[in-house]
Amino acid sequence: MTAEALDPLIHVPARLQIMAALATLPDGDQLSFKRLQDMLELTPGNLITHLRKLEEAGYLATSKTGSGPASRTSVALTHDGRHALEIYATTLRGLLNGVSAGPAASGSHLDRHGASPG
Amino acid sequence: MEPREAARVLAQTQADARRSLDFRAPWVSLVAAVVVLAGFGIVWLDVRNQHPFTGPSPASLVFFYGLIALRIATVIYAYARARTGVSGHSVKVQRDEAVVMSGVLLVCYLALIGIANSGSHHGAGFYWSLFLNGTLIALAAVWAGRCAIHKRWHEVALTVPVALIAALAAIAGPRGMWLVNGVGLCVLLLANAAIGTWQRRATRTHTVRTGA
Repeated sequence: MTAEALDPLIHVPARLQIMAALATLPDGDQLSFKRLQDMLELTPGNLITHLRKLEEAGYLATSKTGSGPASRTSVALTHDGRHALEIYATTLRGLLNGVSAGPAASGSHLDRHGASPG
Repeated sequence: MEPREAARVLAQTQADARRSLDFRAPWVSLVAAVVVLAGFGIVWLDVRNQHPFTGPSPASLVFFYGLIALRIATVIYAYARARTGVSGHSVKVQRDEAVVMSGVLLVCYLALIGIANSGSHHGAGFYWSLFLNGTLIALAAVWAGRCAIHKRWHEVALTVPVALIAALAAIAGPRGMWLVNGVGLCVLLLANAAIGTWQRRATRTHTVRTGA
């Protein structure tokens, strides 16, 4: 198994961060665009670009409330997105176990954190 | 991106996000530990030589309630900071929980007023024990039940000892109960802060080591 087995849509640092951060929210919760941007320290333009790609793939859903300056955009992982991240983490763990060259590459932290992104 | 780097990004981002969104930070428990020790401690110093027990002085009660207000303010601050930008089901659940706990507190006070006005005569120690320990036990029991329903076992493990400490305090009598509650709750909150800090450090160390 090689790194190509990983979902290419998620396997980009910024998009992986977006997916990982949103996966920590319980089902039914959303995060505002501004808060997500602050958490990941991405520029608005950069974040919007990656969010669009993930939304087009059906991995996340955005919703807008209010209008004008008071409007607020919120983002949440969809069921498909959560499932895709679980598969990504499982594949990653398999890759790390396969290329294990020492204790540092055991992937054990994924056992604790990556395998259940929710 | 190398798989190991991806693993590091995934674990680090999730650990950071959890820490950022969690309003039950160790420092909140630490502040609470100091607050309960000081609050209950000052009242205990005030009443420990009362024979018979007549109740805390207004000055110590002002101090006690002032510290409770400080505790509530730190929780509200931590909650507002952690949950900014979060909306949805869990926010509604937390609001409902706040309403339920306020309701329990209100019922406790009303029950106490009802008992005081029922015509039965009890000493000050009875009313203060009922007020303090009864309220703590009722709040802890309701919260533990609520957390058990939602399978939040860490909170159940923190809340059940609160009820046990309050029960132990009730046995300690009207003077000793302030000391037992103060020391007991302080130790419990310090343990909670220590466990929280250890968990956060363990996650960070493991992530850094694995991603190195």
